[in-house]
Amino acid sequence: MEQVALFLVFLKSSALAVGGLASLPLLRTDLVPAYTDDAGILQALAIGRLAPGPNGLYIVSLGYLAAGWAGAAYALVGASLAPLAILPATVLARRWLLSSWFAGLVRGVALGTAGLLLATGVSIAQTAGTAPWQLILAALAIALTVHGRLHPALLVGLGTVAGLALGR
Amino acid sequence: MRAMTPPRSRALTRAWFDIGTQSVGGGTSTLFMIRRVLVEQHKWITEREFTEAWALSQLSPGIHLVALAGLLGRRIAGLRGVVVSVGGMMLPAAAITAVITALFGGIAQHPLTVAALLGIGPVAAGMTIGLALILARPVLQRGRYAILDLALIVAAFAVLLAGVAPTIGVIGASAAFGAVFLGRERPTSTDAPMS
Repeated sequence: MEQVALFLVFLKSSALAVGGLASLPLLRTDLVPAYTDDAGILQALAIGRLAPGPNGLYIVSLGYLAAGWAGAAYALVGASLAPLAILPATVLARRWLLSSWFAGLVRGVALGTAGLLLATGVSIAQTAGTAPWQLILAALAIALTVHGRLHPALLVGLGTVAGLALGR
Repeated sequence: MRAMTPPRSRALTRAWFDIGTQSVGGGTSTLFMIRRVLVEQHKWITEREFTEAWALSQLSPGIHLVALAGLLGRRIAGLRGVVVSVGGMMLPAAAITAVITALFGGIAQHPLTVAALLGIGPVAAGMTIGLALILARPVLQRGRYAILDLALIVAAFAVLLAGVAPTIGVIGASAAFGAVFLGRERPTSTDAPMS
């Protein structure tokens, strides 16, 4: 029963968010502290940026941390099924999809989840460490991500080097 | 009807496997790979079909690239195309993600790993904040309606940090607010990240 509940957590987080990383606020609400902690969330986010494929695959890393290989499988299936709701929708409700109120609804969810994701990012940044060099590193990561010039894997590499040099 | 014969499952799987495993960093790099492999290399999809599927995928819940893979897969080979495309893109990349996580777990307690994580943590948090800002960035280009968008982002941000309402409630309220007040504007911006 607990396994079903865990699968539903992953399915729900993908079904109610617009965009891959937008599932994070709901997942953090449901998984911390019962299944993992903020350190686990940060680790999954970093691995998600290192591994190939869509950004949203950080959810598989989080699934593994929550319940091993079974958890990774639940996360993968949940994250793969939810977006496919668009397939029947384009056949059965194409008129709705093209209506202005539906465009507004999607836009509202996207903007709301941007705010939620921002709040989640600020919360986990506090648990990631508040030493001056860590705050500078976080600020640098924000700037370079928004600027979009440096590859995410290089950014994680930069964090690793900084941690090894300053974190001991 | 298309004149083209649908490709064999093996060729389609191979194409999506390449897309899933060679697009490190996610988002636009995966989108770029999909376009190059399906439109330019194999010509299974026309430029117009790709653009239409991309626009529809932006309306889907969850990972937009999965919706895009499903829509393009259906166009190429029906239900078989959906299964092969989504599976081909997601399974290998997910397996790599899970294996990295498992390997990482084995060295998580090592002093060097603990030190590295003290640097990786702030970077991961910073990247999350950065991606949230990218998601919100279209607001800056929206003229007199920008205030409504900005109010929604700030309200969701404040409510979650203050802990006065459940996350799911914020999403429901955002959807209702959008349907009533934001419908006259264009749908999700093309600047939104594909993730």
